[in-house]
Amino acid sequence: MGVTVLLPYQIPEGKTGAQAIDYLTKRLLALGAIHTGQFLVDCETYISTPQHGPAKTVHVLHDSEYPASTFSILDNGAGKQIPLVADNLFDLLMLKMTSVYTSKKQTKIESKGARFEYGDFLIKLGSVTMMENFKGILIEIEYRPCVVLSYCWEMIRETLQGFLGMPIAKEYPAYFSQQIMNTMGQQQIHTKQNEVYEPIDTINQYLESFTNYRKQNVLPVAGGATGGASSAQNAAANMQGGNQRMR
Amino acid sequence: MNITNGVNVSVETTCENQIQEITYDGTEIYQPPPTLSETLTRCAARIDFSKTSLDDLKKEDKSAEDDVKDSSQFQPSLWPWDSVRNKLNDALTEICVLSDVISIAKDKRYLVLDPVPEDPDEIKPIVQVYSRKKALGQAAQVLLSGAERLRNSHSEQRNRNVTDFHIELLRLRQNWRLKKVSNAIIGDLSYRTAGSKYGMSGTFEVTKAEDLTDEEAASGTTGSGNNGLPTQSPKTTSSLRVIVPAELQGVAYIKVITQKDQEDLCTANVNLMGHGPNITQQAGVWQKTLEFAQNVLFCKELFSQLAREAIQLQAPIPHVVIGNQIRATLLPGIQLIISLCHSTTFDSSQPGPINDHDHVLEHSLHQLLREVHHKNSHHPFPHPTSGPLGPSKKRMLAGPKAADRESLLEMTKSQTILEQIIAQAQHIFMRKRTQYVLDTLARDVKDPQIVSHWNAMNSPIMSCVKINIVTHGYDTINRTSLVIHVKERSLKCICRDGRVMHLSYEPQELRDLILCQINSHQISCLLNLARCMAWTVLSNSNNLGIGKVEPLGNASSCLLASPNGDRMIAVQIRCDPQIDVKVYIARSPRPDFIPNPLVPEKFWENLGGHFKEVRFDKIEGKSFLNKMEFLMAALTSNSV
Amino acid sequence: MQMTQITNSKELLSTALQSRIIPNQEFLLQGSILDSAVDHLIHRLRGLCDTVDASPEQFHDLEVCLSLRQPTQTAPLMLRVRRALDRDSPFQLRYIGQPELDRSRPTLVRSSIDVGCTSTILDFLTELGCRLDFEYVSRGYIFRKGRMKITVSKIKAVPGKQQEIGSETVSQSYLVELSVLAPNGQDSIGDEMRIFAEQLKPLVQLEKIDYKRLGGLP
Repeated sequence: MGVTVLLPYQIPEGKTGAQAIDYLTKRLLALGAIHTGQFLVDCETYISTPQHGPAKTVHVLHDSEYPASTFSILDNGAGKQIPLVADNLFDLLMLKMTSVYTSKKQTKIESKGARFEYGDFLIKLGSVTMMENFKGILIEIEYRPCVVLSYCWEMIRETLQGFLGMPIAKEYPAYFSQQIMNTMGQQQIHTKQNEVYEPIDTINQYLESFTNYRKQNVLPVAGGATGGASSAQNAAANMQGGNQRMR
Repeated sequence: MNITNGVNVSVETTCENQIQEITYDGTEIYQPPPTLSETLTRCAARIDFSKTSLDDLKKEDKSAEDDVKDSSQFQPSLWPWDSVRNKLNDALTEICVLSDVISIAKDKRYLVLDPVPEDPDEIKPIVQVYSRKKALGQAAQVLLSGAERLRNSHSEQRNRNVTDFHIELLRLRQNWRLKKVSNAIIGDLSYRTAGSKYGMSGTFEVTKAEDLTDEEAASGTTGSGNNGLPTQSPKTTSSLRVIVPAELQGVAYIKVITQKDQEDLCTANVNLMGHGPNITQQAGVWQKTLEFAQNVLFCKELFSQLAREAIQLQAPIPHVVIGNQIRATLLPGIQLIISLCHSTTFDSSQPGPINDHDHVLEHSLHQLLREVHHKNSHHPFPHPTSGPLGPSKKRMLAGPKAADRESLLEMTKSQTILEQIIAQAQHIFMRKRTQYVLDTLARDVKDPQIVSHWNAMNSPIMSCVKINIVTHGYDTINRTSLVIHVKERSLKCICRDGRVMHLSYEPQELRDLILCQINSHQISCLLNLARCMAWTVLSNSNNLGIGKVEPLGNASSCLLASPNGDRMIAVQIRCDPQIDVKVYIARSPRPDFIPNPLVPEKFWENLGGHFKEVRFDKIEGKSFLNKMEFLMAALTSNSV
Repeated sequence: MQMTQITNSKELLSTALQSRIIPNQEFLLQGSILDSAVDHLIHRLRGLCDTVDASPEQFHDLEVCLSLRQPTQTAPLMLRVRRALDRDSPFQLRYIGQPELDRSRPTLVRSSIDVGCTSTILDFLTELGCRLDFEYVSRGYIFRKGRMKITVSKIKAVPGKQQEIGSETVSQSYLVELSVLAPNGQDSIGDEMRIFAEQLKPLVQLEKIDYKRLGGLP
């Protein structure tokens, strides 16, 4: 249980996703990281039927790092998000609601790949696929001895730069710069990076990235035949955007 | 016949009127109640005229039956008095016939009436008296014998102070589980209700001790019969007898021996006698019998559990189970032997527990099995109560709190009793070894003093010692302290500067570490002392790289210069295998400078290099630092 | 701990369902006992149930019943959220299906899904479109015998909402429930429960309550 930062990786020009993963794996192993199996984060989205009032969305996510839990995030369509962490059996319950909430199968998205342990760090190289289509690479890095990002961001950044071989912005990632609302709806003084990190934060970051990837999905369909290539470019473009935001 | 307390009972007919028919809508149509005349008619019809004489009974039977049937059917269409008239008619006929017969009999010409002869029943009064006497005699016998038994038991109770069977049974019932199966009383002394899953049955039977003479005979032998407990007081004569199955009779205990090669390091005997409140005083011999039997059962369960685990466990050096003995290797050359000793015949000359009696291991084994029992019977309840029964509290939290893979894996792990007892034995051994190493070092090394503080509170598999190395008289100058965590098979040393070292179970490693610490203590003390005395530290090294290579460094040294720089002291401390100090001094320029062709000027002497060894053991002073202080003081004063 | 194959959790769930290790059936017997006699029942249960040596475990729960209208089906989806008021523990979300109609069974059998979850569940369900039906406080004792769970509880109205304090109890008796959660196909447990219920008999009559018959009651 530590702090996790999720980072979309910009695939270098002229490389395929598999090559990029291969490159990163080699660099990690060269640093002395130990390969410790696979990981999988998947996300399925359910949307309420139109006769049931304004459209609401339920995202159900699973993370192999938390094998006993099912994460769901309800978006009520009015900007309010309610997270829920439950036992695995929650999936069975979702099946009971199929008449109200239907799953959008074509948006089922997952990030899957190798898991590495590198001292106190846990690094995961995930290739994101939606409907068997490659979408991009997500790098998850967790620093396990600490639960507050502001205490260990520099260390995480250092490590990231070390194996990615590229500079990372000094500012906290966008997810952590958001203001925390307390229960009364007032803004609190500190931001996310000073909060105690919780597993649901990892899930929120994944959902954010997945949503971005899904949005790109619309473009390649319009683009036609060059779907795969352009989506990769889009991913790259988006990542640059993300990086700029971080700077 | 108290009227106020009496209860008024009203008797009514169940239903006033008979139901004639029930219509389909459920309405019941009652018959109209009979009129007065109808009632009279019915009553008249009920008169049985045939009952007047025995002779006429048969003759009238049929007609009467018919009449009754008629009346019961009650057909109002018939003339109601018809049957009565018929009967009266018949009666008239009979009376007429009778009067005729009597008138004929009067003449005694045609008919004679004779009395019917009666045969008298002959009663013999003497027989009757005799039989009655016999019956009364028998009844009296029963009563007398009953009275005799009552008197006997009463006097017996008063005289011999023998407790009543039922009172003893009551006492037994307060401490043991009993139930009645047909005519026998069966008890259960197994730990099953406390969570044990051991298959062996622990049933015993409770009977009443037979009669007086038998009991008297038995009371002498009861002691030896019941596992040879000597019966000290007459109170132990009991009217209650417990019969324990053969396999639970006798005395059992579990012997734990830690063995190095063939020499015993320590042994422990587990038997549960003496645990719990002593209730044998008020209870009879049976209490002891049952306690012993329960102890046998407990030891057997413990041993079978350990044996099962020994076979299942995958140890690098496999555990050996032979007969009543389990052998496990703790550390190379050191074995743990657990054996079950069960003797059915008590022998007072049996060798008592071996002197090196380890209460800790005894207690642990007892505790470990009790813990297993407790876990079997104490499952956590779900809160809120709609939750499922079974998963542990941690597992219930795992989903909503998003437990990660590691902690979930951790939850599935559990240690067997054998693993735990081996770990504890290993720890005990490691602790003893560490103590031994520290104590011998403290004894052998006098100069810096080694003080070890053992934490009084420790866990069965982890203890902690703090070691302070100080020089007497100079403890304000420097103090080297380190903490050693003694685990099962390893040591973890934490130094003041934050260095953490993991040592194996080999005592030599700890010895080396402490020597090395002494070494660096001496040097750092010397450096501090030199600064106090305004000497300059020219160089120092903790690992010179000379001599034998040791796991944690070797000889260390330092070079000091006097305040005005004309004298130098070089110190070398080695610790292989004993602490060995060498001190050299040099003076530059030498006071007795004689110019020669090679060294024409005095300033060349400033290069130094002419070190002479000091016979350190001859220097005044109690300790190394003391001597060094004197030496430095002496050299400093010279130079002024 | 090399994890060679990571499988989708959905697949894991379906294999778990097929291998019948998920307890998704509830066997239930219910009864009630007057306040004046509840001590006798507690005493009897302490003797019969596991953990004889400890004092009976108490609980104090709040149950909230919600329903989700389903456009295609007439019956709404009923969900219950239960939380412990006397300690900090996860909320329990519970789905209970319609009872099976099989009369030959000794107990009521209904499907059930129990999910532990975070405290956000009430908000979550409300935003999901669930309507609050009713809520109540249940307070009493819980026992276990093997895998049977026995609760003896007093049903109370939620304080400070409907009535003032004092008149919060709903009735003069305690609700007694004997239940087992088991995977599909373990029907023998019903007989086990019946035998246990038999042992509580004259004190409390545990029966399968047919909710359809009670349906007419307010």
